[in-house]
Amino acid sequence: MSPQNYEEIDHTADLALKVWGEDFETLLRQAALGLYDLMGVKRRAESYCQRQFALEEESTETILVDFLNELLYLAEEYKEYYTEFRFDDKSKGMRVTCQGQNVLSISRNIKAVTFHNLEIKKTDKGLETIITFDV
Amino acid sequence: MNDINLNQFTRINDFEWEISTSFRSDMRVPVRIFASKVLLEHSLDDKSILQAVNVSTLPGVVEAVMVMPDMHQGYGFPIGGVAATDPETGVISPGGIGYDINCGVRLLMSRISLEEVKPWFRDLADSINRHCPSGVGVDSQLTLSKSELAEACVKGAGWAKAQGYATGEDVKHTEDKGCLDGADPDKVSERALDRGRKQLGTLGGGNHFIEVDLIEEIFDQESARIMGLRKQDIAVQIHTGSRGFGHQICTDYVRRLQSAVRQYGITLPDKQLVCAPIESPDGQDYLAAMRCGANFAFLNRQLLADKVRQAFEKTLAGKVEDWHLKQVYDVAHNIGKFEKHTINGEVRTVCVHRKGATRAFGPGSEDLPEDYTEIGQPVFVPGSMGTASWVLIGTDQSMTRSFGSSCHGAGRVMSRSQAKREVWGEDLLQRLENEGIEVRAGSMPGLAEEAPKAYKDVDQVVASVVGAGIARKVARLRPLVVIKG
Repeated sequence: MSPQNYEEIDHTADLALKVWGEDFETLLRQAALGLYDLMGVKRRAESYCQRQFALEEESTETILVDFLNELLYLAEEYKEYYTEFRFDDKSKGMRVTCQGQNVLSISRNIKAVTFHNLEIKKTDKGLETIITFDV
Repeated sequence: MNDINLNQFTRINDFEWEISTSFRSDMRVPVRIFASKVLLEHSLDDKSILQAVNVSTLPGVVEAVMVMPDMHQGYGFPIGGVAATDPETGVISPGGIGYDINCGVRLLMSRISLEEVKPWFRDLADSINRHCPSGVGVDSQLTLSKSELAEACVKGAGWAKAQGYATGEDVKHTEDKGCLDGADPDKVSERALDRGRKQLGTLGGGNHFIEVDLIEEIFDQESARIMGLRKQDIAVQIHTGSRGFGHQICTDYVRRLQSAVRQYGITLPDKQLVCAPIESPDGQDYLAAMRCGANFAFLNRQLLADKVRQAFEKTLAGKVEDWHLKQVYDVAHNIGKFEKHTINGEVRTVCVHRKGATRAFGPGSEDLPEDYTEIGQPVFVPGSMGTASWVLIGTDQSMTRSFGSSCHGAGRVMSRSQAKREVWGEDLLQRLENEGIEVRAGSMPGLAEEAPKAYKDVDQVVASVVGAGIARKVARLRPLVVIKG
């Protein structure tokens, strides 16, 4: 099991998550786990789902927000929770292949992933960012 | 980002403060705060004022960025923020309206007294809970095709009336008669339509609620009489918005404008403030889509009102003399609209963004239903769960000082995680029940996040807008039944 590289930080009304990782793909994986944690997702045992989707290249910040908004949508609309991700480069973007389990329940409604003061910073150990979610 | 302290505010009066453009070089207009000194000091604990300063840098912003006393930190715009932009030189910012487009409050009144309904509280709570779908991922009992939803979000409350969900009086007593002109579903993504078609008539989660209240105190007899509010009768508040439909519309346009903003040469202090010139294709497309979201929210509250009426009939018919609910008004508190306001003595049309602020037009406004023209627009200010809510009314001064706007709620002071650390949902439920409040909640942690101590004192918030003269008190409500998703 990979370490938990995210923590919830205080925000008066919404939710904010500090996420870090040695590279961008780790950052994306950790942000996904953090999002599911904030949503309070419970998984259905012995279920399986997989999906592929594409993200447009514009900046690393837009890829991060698009990725999380896609997972939010897939969790709410298709009841899908992903734990394994593969990221492949494609022209002008990235292809994401993911697999996981079906959602049993979600306890918190997150409306959207925002761009509020979003900046992916380089650190000694890799990358770090703070993501704000509208609830 | 600059820090800010009390010395940097100019005191206009006890309830009005200003930060001049000299505070930061990129400000185009001052920031005007309506709050008591105590609430202003509290607001310095988070970034709400600095977020208002950021908003004051938007191109074409006019007069001042206004901040209401229930302000708290948001993402981009502060909650409680009002900003007006010039239609020719200014911008429209989706984040200035928010993801929950046209989140708002509807108030229904009854001729049912507390004594009459007391034996039926529990049944009424259960019945409303059964009739009104609530909670995360809970779909509506009504599923529309995409083309039906497209038609509904163009026609707004008129569609609800045609389908038998609304009366003519309901439509008349809704802000903008429940329909913003210029809605164009072709500017809404397939994904948004798909999310929306299953969610019309659902409450959702978070801070959304349906509440049965007691009209505890009347402060303005004549206005209350005109609104049909009587002391010791019960009333119903419905607080919700445009659900996944609105969230997706905002998500789509905030994303689209991330690159467009560079094309327009606009520099911003926060990426979430992305915007487009109102006259540009991006700006026009967002406005057309946002109006679909706004009309969806008017419909959503209308369909829930219809369900609440069914619950009242089912529970109280034959047990009380008159179980019918009449609509007092329905107000939006996350919206963008073109309105006429007097700025430096000149009447101008401006695009008013309200993010967690309620329109509060004064007496004589032609945008009000005939019966409210003399008194002004009703404004509903829900308190935190288990505390009072207020019915206010707009004033002449709100028209001259705050772009016809007032506060929208109590305003948070504590993060959700801190509230959960300090409050146990089951304890809170027990405490509310000990106070005689029937609560139906989908999630105990969710209940804890909405604990009263996580919010400001709504009475202080109301005292500030009344002290500033941008609203007047009409009635105070006390909760009897609370339904939360």
